Amino acid sequence: MAPPRALSEFVAEANEVLETLAHDVAVLDAQRGREPEPDLLNAIFRAAHSLKGLSGMFGQERISTLAHHLEDVLDALRLGKVLASDALLDAILDGVDVLTLMLREASGEAPSDETARRATALTETFVRLASGGQQTAVDVLDEVGLDPAIRSVFTEYEEHRLRENVKKGIALWKVRAVFSLDDFDQRLAGLNATLKPLGEVISTLPSSQPGDETSIAFDLIFGSPRPQHEIETAVQTMASVQPLTNKPVRPRLVSEPEPDAPRTRPAPRPPVFASDVSSPELTPLSSSSPSGVMQGAEPSLRSLAQTVRVDIARLDGLMNVIGELLTVRANIHRLADVARQAGATPLPKLWGQELQKEARALERKLDELQAGVLDVRMVPLGQVFDKLARLMRRLVRQSGKDVHFEVSGGDVELDKLIVEELSDPLMHLLRNALDHGVETPDRRIAQGKDARGLIRLKAQQLGNQVQIEVGDDGAGMDEGRIKQVAIERGLVTRELTDELERRDLLNLVFLPGFSTRKDVSELSGRGVGLDVVKTNLARLSGLIDIDSRRGEGTTFVLTLPLTLAIIRALIVGVADRTFAVPLNSVTEIVAVKPAELRTIERREVLEVRGQTLPFVRLSRIFGLQELPVERHFVVVIGLAQERLGLAVDALLGQEDIVTKPLGGRLKGVPGIAGATELGDRRAVLVLDVAALVEELKRPQAAVG
Amino acid sequence: MANPRFEAQLARFFYRPDEDVGAWLELAPEIAEAGEVAEELPEEFLAFELGAEVYAVPIGAVREILKVPAITGVPRVAEHVLGVMNVRGEMLPVYDLKQRLRLVDAPQRVTGPTDLPRESRVVLLKDPEGDAGILVDRVQGVVRLPLSKLEPAPNLGADRRAVAGLGRAGGNLYILLDVEAALA
Repeated sequence: MAPPRALSEFVAEANEVLETLAHDVAVLDAQRGREPEPDLLNAIFRAAHSLKGLSGMFGQERISTLAHHLEDVLDALRLGKVLASDALLDAILDGVDVLTLMLREASGEAPSDETARRATALTETFVRLASGGQQTAVDVLDEVGLDPAIRSVFTEYEEHRLRENVKKGIALWKVRAVFSLDDFDQRLAGLNATLKPLGEVISTLPSSQPGDETSIAFDLIFGSPRPQHEIETAVQTMASVQPLTNKPVRPRLVSEPEPDAPRTRPAPRPPVFASDVSSPELTPLSSSSPSGVMQGAEPSLRSLAQTVRVDIARLDGLMNVIGELLTVRANIHRLADVARQAGATPLPKLWGQELQKEARALERKLDELQAGVLDVRMVPLGQVFDKLARLMRRLVRQSGKDVHFEVSGGDVELDKLIVEELSDPLMHLLRNALDHGVETPDRRIAQGKDARGLIRLKAQQLGNQVQIEVGDDGAGMDEGRIKQVAIERGLVTRELTDELERRDLLNLVFLPGFSTRKDVSELSGRGVGLDVVKTNLARLSGLIDIDSRRGEGTTFVLTLPLTLAIIRALIVGVADRTFAVPLNSVTEIVAVKPAELRTIERREVLEVRGQTLPFVRLSRIFGLQELPVERHFVVVIGLAQERLGLAVDALLGQEDIVTKPLGGRLKGVPGIAGATELGDRRAVLVLDVAALVEELKRPQAAVG
Repeated sequence: MANPRFEAQLARFFYRPDEDVGAWLELAPEIAEAGEVAEELPEEFLAFELGAEVYAVPIGAVREILKVPAITGVPRVAEHVLGVMNVRGEMLPVYDLKQRLRLVDAPQRVTGPTDLPRESRVVLLKDPEGDAGILVDRVQGVVRLPLSKLEPAPNLGADRRAVAGLGRAGGNLYILLDVEAALA
């Protein structure tokens, strides 16, 4: 068995390949019905090929076998032997899913029979699909009179591309260029770039002419519908242009083959591959020759992406160091201040000023460093969106509804940890939108809507936060029904629902055990509701809001912090203790006199801008001494859709903090997320706002 | 939270279990072996005073000895947890062993060195469930106790389970502390 290091390396590498593969397949899927782009197909083919090679090297037989069959199908597809049918695309999508599952199992998850069963079924499908529909006997390349000697140098794939061009009636040209050996690679690339807009460069063949020692000639086999003079104008002095075929290319041209070609050409060199170069001068060519890249015969050991994979724990380590530097910075500031103000004698005063200046420079650089490390942790949401798009396409097909799934903002970046944690809640919301939101086509038509429903997944960055919307244009939520269900399940009393405003009514759906439909479909099944979504989001310090209009649709708006690694915190004093409250969950701070508090069912409440919030004394819930105060400072917490006023004795300022867990033995303390250090190195506890809000919602906690 | 020890190991070795769990499986046998070695009693012990009694822990279980740092009280934990301390950026709990072992009746409130006599120290113990400090009145030093002459703990009642045994050297009695039980 591979050593552990190697295994985790494999999993990481394979994951990367698989992500690329999944992304490209998603693009391919989106182009369903059109002829697949050759470049895209090639990219997918190469990724499948890399995965096969990689898993083979690490003895991952199951993955290797499936990837091998996938590669066969893709090869047949790119060679035009089979058509991009729905069945084929579905099988490819399924293949990506199963490969992902198998990779997870390889990395330690318990293997499931379900995965094995799917893999076996897929393998059979792939074999059947790959051998399907053979090429027709009549070869169009014979019809246009392509010199068999020239033909022999093409790879199967290149020949397929020639054939495709001829079928479409696109003329084939031979573009001959002579470059100096010094800079031929750049100039060849330049020529390629010039030709690309006019057509397709099918192959680049080195030529033995002119046989000069300081220069090299190439024949670019080029398919283009443009007339010869136009191509000549484009390439100007770079190259000469000749027709490749003896007969003009016309679509579906039928003619008798001509026995011999009038134009002779020296015995063509074999196409250039890394392993197959006959003359030493040509060696560098392999790196710039497209034909070398197209060849899938040798497994490439090079990584697909120009990136460094780093265990996120290492980044956390760096973050901790930065956190400590921030503490040092605060100390230096304080010392500088002291020295400046101790200014009875001029020297310390001067020093203090200098120190202050340096401290500010340090501060700027530290900010840059902090931003840099945070930046490294950022990954595009597209990583999750791609997966969701694949899932949605499948679910939509299964659901029998007609739904357009629209994704935007995949390039918005978020902390890696947050992105990972987001996939489940988003999946849940999307399934809900499909299951409970969008109506059946008949019903939509009856309501005068477009038969085709719309589900949107949209992300955008707003300052230090990211907003993600999951919306549909379906039926919207039925407040009456929500009210009824909530009462039936004993989640709220009838009297209370009468007092609730619309927004609060909608928010009842986040209560545990709430589900408005009894016939939970297979798709959104599992019996978990929106409460799970809310809990997951709260763990990420996120807010969730609902906007729903009857008959027009429902939109969930998720607001998330960009990162959880270094956060800005409000430092508060309670009794003689100090606590840190993450600012991303603080919506505002107000001061109230004790006389302004009221009680509802003996629970203290507070009115802020017309909204009534529960009022909770931190000293009371933590069992600390309650100091008599003239006024309470109330930190208003907004977490998910919950609001809460937390009373503290003093506000001590704001700091950037890195939250660290309380050693293994104390990690389960309710209401405490961890500790951080401030200027004097003393540990300061960081409140777990989500846990506190959750706890205070439970009735018995109110007495607390 | 089925098995807290398992969780602690995971947390220690892997920040991202989904990426590294495979490697963890490979490491597992080594962890098990390391644990067995640590359980074997070494001959050298660190002796310290708690009130009038002298306790000892295997020297291999001691990570370091600290002057009493600032200690931040943590609400909602057992009385014998004094709070957390910041050890070079690591947040670690500090236990009041005298309270835990019922050597004193009332819990003491400690927030830093100024609340205690000058000789007080925090002994930082290694523990698979998370390292933790214990507050001691004075550190005596290292004693060698012949393993063969260690006595089993006398039966003093069910709540005295933190005593692993007794050792004698030079006319002194050392109470061997069962670290795991003492921190539980």
